[in-house]
Amino acid sequence: MAAIHLLGIRHHGPGSARAVERALAAIEPDVVVVELPAEAESLVRYLADAALAPPVAMLGYVADEPARAVFYPLAAFSPEWVALRWASERGVAVRAFDLGLAQSLVWQDAADEPGTGRRHRRRAERDPLGELARAAGYDDAERWWEDVVEHRSESDGAGDALAPFAAVAEAMGAVRADAPAPVGEEAAREATMRQVLRTVAKTAERIAVVCGAWHVPALQEPWPKATVDAAVLRGLPKAKVAVTWVPWTHRRLGTASGYAAGVRSPGWYAHVFAHPGDEGVTRWFADAAALLRSRDHAVSPDHLIGAVRLARTVAALRDRPVPGLDEVMDAAHAVLADGRPGPLALIRDELVVGDALGSVPDDVPMVPLARDLTAQRKRVRLKPDAVSKVVELDLRTDAGRNRSHLLHRLQALGVRWGVPEEGRGSSGTFRETWRLQWEPELSIRLVEASALGTTVEQAASVALTEQAAVTTALADLTALLESALLADLPTVVAPLVERLAEHAAVDPDVEHLMDALVPLARALRYGDVRATDTSALADVIDGMVARLVAGLTGACASLDDEAAAAMADRLTAVQGALALVDHTARRRAWPEVLAVIAARDLGPGLVAGRAVRLVHDIGWWDADAVERRFARALSVGTPADAGAAFVEGFLAGSGTVLLHDAGLLALLDGWMATLPEATFTDVVPLLRRTFGAFASAERRQIGQLVAGRDASAAAATGWDLDPGRAAAALATVLALLGSNAPEGVPTWKG
Amino acid sequence: MPEVPAIDPSVLRPHAEQLHAGELAGLAAADTRPRPPRWRLSPWAVVTYLLGGTLADGTVISPKYVGNRRLIEVAVATLATDRALLLLGVPGTAKTWLSEHLAAAISGDSTLVVQGTAGTAEEALRYGWNYARLLAEGPSMAALVESPVLRAMRLGTIVRVEELTRLPSDVQDALVTVLSEKTLPVPELTTEVQARQGFNLIATANDRDRGVNELSSALRRRFNTVVLPLPATAEEEVAIVTRRVGELAASLSLPPLPAAVDEIRRVVTVFRELRSGATEDGRVKLKTPTSTLSTAEAISVITSGIALAAHFGDGRLGPVDVAAGIVGAVVKDPAHDNVVWREYLEVVARERAGWGEFYEACRAAAG
Repeated sequence: MAAIHLLGIRHHGPGSARAVERALAAIEPDVVVVELPAEAESLVRYLADAALAPPVAMLGYVADEPARAVFYPLAAFSPEWVALRWASERGVAVRAFDLGLAQSLVWQDAADEPGTGRRHRRRAERDPLGELARAAGYDDAERWWEDVVEHRSESDGAGDALAPFAAVAEAMGAVRADAPAPVGEEAAREATMRQVLRTVAKTAERIAVVCGAWHVPALQEPWPKATVDAAVLRGLPKAKVAVTWVPWTHRRLGTASGYAAGVRSPGWYAHVFAHPGDEGVTRWFADAAALLRSRDHAVSPDHLIGAVRLARTVAALRDRPVPGLDEVMDAAHAVLADGRPGPLALIRDELVVGDALGSVPDDVPMVPLARDLTAQRKRVRLKPDAVSKVVELDLRTDAGRNRSHLLHRLQALGVRWGVPEEGRGSSGTFRETWRLQWEPELSIRLVEASALGTTVEQAASVALTEQAAVTTALADLTALLESALLADLPTVVAPLVERLAEHAAVDPDVEHLMDALVPLARALRYGDVRATDTSALADVIDGMVARLVAGLTGACASLDDEAAAAMADRLTAVQGALALVDHTARRRAWPEVLAVIAARDLGPGLVAGRAVRLVHDIGWWDADAVERRFARALSVGTPADAGAAFVEGFLAGSGTVLLHDAGLLALLDGWMATLPEATFTDVVPLLRRTFGAFASAERRQIGQLVAGRDASAAAATGWDLDPGRAAAALATVLALLGSNAPEGVPTWKG
Repeated sequence: MPEVPAIDPSVLRPHAEQLHAGELAGLAAADTRPRPPRWRLSPWAVVTYLLGGTLADGTVISPKYVGNRRLIEVAVATLATDRALLLLGVPGTAKTWLSEHLAAAISGDSTLVVQGTAGTAEEALRYGWNYARLLAEGPSMAALVESPVLRAMRLGTIVRVEELTRLPSDVQDALVTVLSEKTLPVPELTTEVQARQGFNLIATANDRDRGVNELSSALRRRFNTVVLPLPATAEEEVAIVTRRVGELAASLSLPPLPAAVDEIRRVVTVFRELRSGATEDGRVKLKTPTSTLSTAEAISVITSGIALAAHFGDGRLGPVDVAAGIVGAVVKDPAHDNVVWREYLEVVARERAGWGEFYEACRAAAG
């Protein structure tokens, strides 16, 4: 009978990984059996290729339904990876003995992860060693492994490589003695494991089994009869599956990315795996110091010495033989970071989690994302072509919309097959123009993006969600929201809206709020937003409006010419946005704050002028009040250039208001006529700029009015239209022109 | 064990090592772990003294500091290394309290202390002269008046410097040689005093105060920094404020007011929400003002509110009485804080049930 060595490990545990390495060297097995699904065996040959560098993930998916998939991430410090590498380097046979994906992928139906629709769980992952560690009062299972398993084995038998695993087997035996017998998928998994071991044991002499600690008691002999296991496995469903390697990252290994079996500190684990022992702590602080220096935090060698000493002293105080993550982080906080949270967060993000990115050889099987893209391309009938060509999409048709969604999703993934162009002629919202060109690099981008998901829709959703998580600028977040709506990715909208709300609250810049409000109002009014998201979006807009109203008067003070011009345009845009969604602030809060700005004599004339115009347009100020303010701006006490800027702001690029309000025109005319010559020369360029922007017909009419030739053109103000009466007139005009009015009453924007 | 003098009952506030002499003796007797040179207790026992516990012989150690164990461990471990300890935090985070108890537990003496003020001179950190003796006998060690720092160096004990950042910068820098070379030269006598093992320094500083002298990087580098956090929960903070307000009101002879706890809770809520930049339920994110909004300020807002209510109001502490104080505490920088405060009022206070009167009062107070 072959000797079977059961190496019970903790997935992604560097301590386990080191122990496995030592144990393999001691056992010298002729077969290494690892806890991976049977299909993984076809991927083992790629381990010989140096281009396969961890962190990577084995990806398995149902061939004709790539959305049904599972990722098996492996880092350099994963015991499974260590075992695979060890075997590959020595030409030792590898067997994968977990339940095949052909069965398990069909089994997992009931347990789909909600949210992004992404499934990369390692089945019902257990961390029994973690539970034992927590029971022993450790918050980090690796600490427990170091302190208890490794140190105990060292004291037991002078470096017996197998002692830790004996200890683990003993502990698990105790844990599982009280646990109910496995059922369902777990029973099938353990039955498969035993069946594979039976086969392997027929030919091999020394077998090393690397599997999760939990399974060890189930694999210890005596086993149940082979026929019992065979019965468990009889009649299982079966699907056609495919497997491949995809690049992975440390960040994705982290629990924060939603991967259930994730580790909190992949960067730290990689470090302690690469540099075990005491010297590793010093090296880690040196890395932290280099990182902080690169971000302009002064860190001296003296700090390093202090940090190493403090970490050791704290470890001793806590009765721990060597400093662990808790101790080094405490020391880094007190010494390297001077107690500040910023540098510590940097260390946590870059060193404790880290950004390590794996790579895979070019010749691994095609990723499902690429397959899905091929299918999608067929569906919307777009051919990849290396020659650039322009397509016009009509979004009113299904075909146009589907193509647009696909192209926008690829944009979100960074696969820039199509680039949006300025549309020709019509600027309507129902048409999009794209320039398409398929470049070979795009295939590489697809492989990189394959860790995000197995279908274009999934991957694009995840990509946007991840971008949103690191974006802080309001304008960028709004842009992301717009892409999510354009790409028809409804699952992303809710989290994006939430993040927008958060950042809108802390953004100190009223300008940013104003800029973000406009596209948001557009999205709310026209975007294809689901009902639940609509109310969330409306809440965000309410919050932003309240904040910008609170900060607006401050933001309109002390602006230079350029900033004043931008602010005047923003005021107009915000008023338009509020009208678009018919916001309640339109009726009181907004005109009130505008009136304050309008009444102010200090501050830029351009902004005050625009504010007067806006309160005039919505009827908050009557003609008298407007004229009084206008007169004040154009009186001797106001510098002439400020007066000219006021006029420019008030007229806002159109002279129509002057045509309709004889009083204002008379004021303006009188002001210009009384300007002293020198001042007149100064303001002429400003006024020329203002009037030069008007349509030529307007200029001519104003000229006629000033010359007194056509007094009848000075009608009453024309902004106070009654929609009902106007609709009747419009209907008549349409009838005269011989075209039917489209559904209902035509609308216009006031 | 050196004998501790009996407590004089007429003394207003006995030192920590006198008050807790029994606990310290119990710990020293039970403590079998290695002690750094000249430490009265092992680091483990010091941590136990601060955080409380029960010893094997049944001695109960009362907790002196309620909070994060890891912070205390880092602080104690720092004192066992050759780097000094800097306790940072806003007013009311028990910095001084903690430093006193650390010194009492480690050296059995919390009296070696330098209070930092803008007028503190270098002599307070180094040494001065007894001029009568200096003139009569000429310069000698006997004519030298040693500072608490010099004394601690000579004895190998802990010395405390309170409000380090209030010291003028040149005076602060007198500590650089002490902390890096562990020696204090006395050029007048062409000699020096070398620190003995067991010497270390605990400094406290306020990290969000105005008008302070930032530490030079040379000095800062000699310290490990432990930041003491504000009370973790609203309940804890309300309890602290209520207790201190009661003490203050008594010493100011203010009449006790009914329903004050509602206003205390409201002020603490406002402070906590603005400080953390989010509402207590975590649903709304907020901007944070430049002002500190420490627990100590909450106490002063309530106390002045009580004074207003008692002397000018209806004898009941209401929203109107705290409104003026709270606006003054929040709005320190008119440009920035005003926006923050108005946003808070409009977005949070206006919507909250039962806060209507408070909202109106604050609107009126802001003008």
